[in-house]
Amino acid sequence: MEKLTYSIIYVGTGIAITLKLLLGGMCISIFLGLLMSVLRYNGIGRCFINSIISVIRGTPVILQLSFIYFTIPGIFGVKLTAISAGVIAFGLNSSAYVAEILRAGIESIPKGQFEAAQTLEISMVPMWRDIILPQVVRNILPAMVGEVIALLKETALIATIGGMDLMRRSQTLAAERFEYFLPLCVAGAYYYCMGLFIEFIGRKIERSEKYAKGI
Amino acid sequence: MLKVSNIRKQFNETLVLDNASFSVKKSDIVGLAGPSGGGKSTLLRCIQKLDTPDSGSIECNGRVGFMFQDFQLFPHLTVLENLTYAPSLKEKKQNHLQHAHDMLKNLGIASKANTYPRHLSGGQKQRVALARSLMIKPDILLCDEPTSGLDVATTTDVVTLLESVCEMGVTMVIASHDLDFLTKISDRIILLNGGKIVVDIQPQQLDDPVDYLKKYY
Repeated sequence: MEKLTYSIIYVGTGIAITLKLLLGGMCISIFLGLLMSVLRYNGIGRCFINSIISVIRGTPVILQLSFIYFTIPGIFGVKLTAISAGVIAFGLNSSAYVAEILRAGIESIPKGQFEAAQTLEISMVPMWRDIILPQVVRNILPAMVGEVIALLKETALIATIGGMDLMRRSQTLAAERFEYFLPLCVAGAYYYCMGLFIEFIGRKIERSEKYAKGI
Repeated sequence: MLKVSNIRKQFNETLVLDNASFSVKKSDIVGLAGPSGGGKSTLLRCIQKLDTPDSGSIECNGRVGFMFQDFQLFPHLTVLENLTYAPSLKEKKQNHLQHAHDMLKNLGIASKANTYPRHLSGGQKQRVALARSLMIKPDILLCDEPTSGLDVATTTDVVTLLESVCEMGVTMVIASHDLDFLTKISDRIILLNGGKIVVDIQPQQLDDPVDYLKKYY
C-alpha cells in the first residue's frame, strides 16, 4: 500500500510537465493547423504546405523531437529546454494532423455556403470566422478529441530527452527500485484518466446547446 | 440596368452559354425559362460573378442580390441572425434588427425570428432566403428556381412575394423551369436552350404563352 501511495505521488508530480506539453502543443497545433488549412484552401502556398504536412506525417515524432532538441540550438544558437523542444515538436507534429482534419471539415461544408457569403458581400475574415469555421468545428469535433488524446500520449516521448513527465518519472522510479509493474501501471492509469477526461469534455461540448444548435 | 453581351461559357467539352445577349430595364421582372441544362443557372451565376464567363461582358448598374435554389441559409445562425449578419458588418446593428423584424413581419414569418433554419419548412426557408437577399438592399435580385420543391399554394405565395419585391423598385431576373409561374410573374420571358437565347417575348402579348414557349423546348 505504501509503495502504491509513493508511486502515485512520485509519478503524479510529472502531471504538470505532461499538461504543459499537452496545452502548449495544442495551442501551436491548432494555430498552425488552422493557418495551413485556410491558406491551402485559398490556394496560398499549397505546394509548400502540402510538402510540410507530408514530411511531418511521414517521419517519426521521436525523430522530429530529437531534431528540434539537438540540432536547432546548433543552427540558430538558441538553447532549448526539453519542455520547449517538446512543445514545439509535438505542436508541429500535431498541426499536420489538425490541418488534415480541418481540410476534411472544410470540404464537408457545401460550396453554396461560401457562395452565399460572397453574394451577401461578406469579406474573407468574417466569412471564415463566423460562417465557415463554426460549421467546420461542429463537424470535426470528434476527430479533434481523438487528436488531442493522441497528442497526450505522444507527450510521453519527452522522456527520451530527459523531460520529467509522467512517463519519465515512472521509469525513474522503476529503475530505482528494480520494479516496473507498479510505476508503469500508475503512469498508465494517469494517462488513461486524462484521456477519459478529454473525452468527457468533448462529449460535453457535443451535447451543449451552443454546439448542437443549427444542424 | 443590366446588359449581357455575347456571353460564352464552357465546362470541359460542354458549351453551356453560347453568345447569349440581352438587357434588362430598371424594375423589370425578367423570367429565364428553358430545359434543364439550358444555361439558366449558369447565366445567373455569371451575372453574380460566382462563375466567370469565357468571353463576353456583363454590365450591371447597382448592387446584385442572389437567391439560391437550395436557399443556402447559414444553419448555425437563427433566422434573425441570417438576416442581420451581413448588413451589420457594414453599419450599426440596431437599424438592421428593426429592418429585419419588419421584413419578417411582411413575409409572414415574424414568429420564426429566433428559429434555426432546420426547423423551417421549404416555403419558410424560401421566405427567409428572399428576406436575407433583400437585406443588402439590392438593385437587381437574381432568383434561381425560387419555386423548386414548393407546393402550388406556396408557389402562389412566392409570386405575390416577388411582385411585392418588384413594387419596392427591385429589378428581378428569375430562372425557373416552371412556365406557369414565369408567365404569371414576368414582364418578359427569355428562353434559353443549348446555351442560346431562342425566344424573347412579353407573355402579356400572347394568348397562350406557355404553349408558345413549349414549342422551343
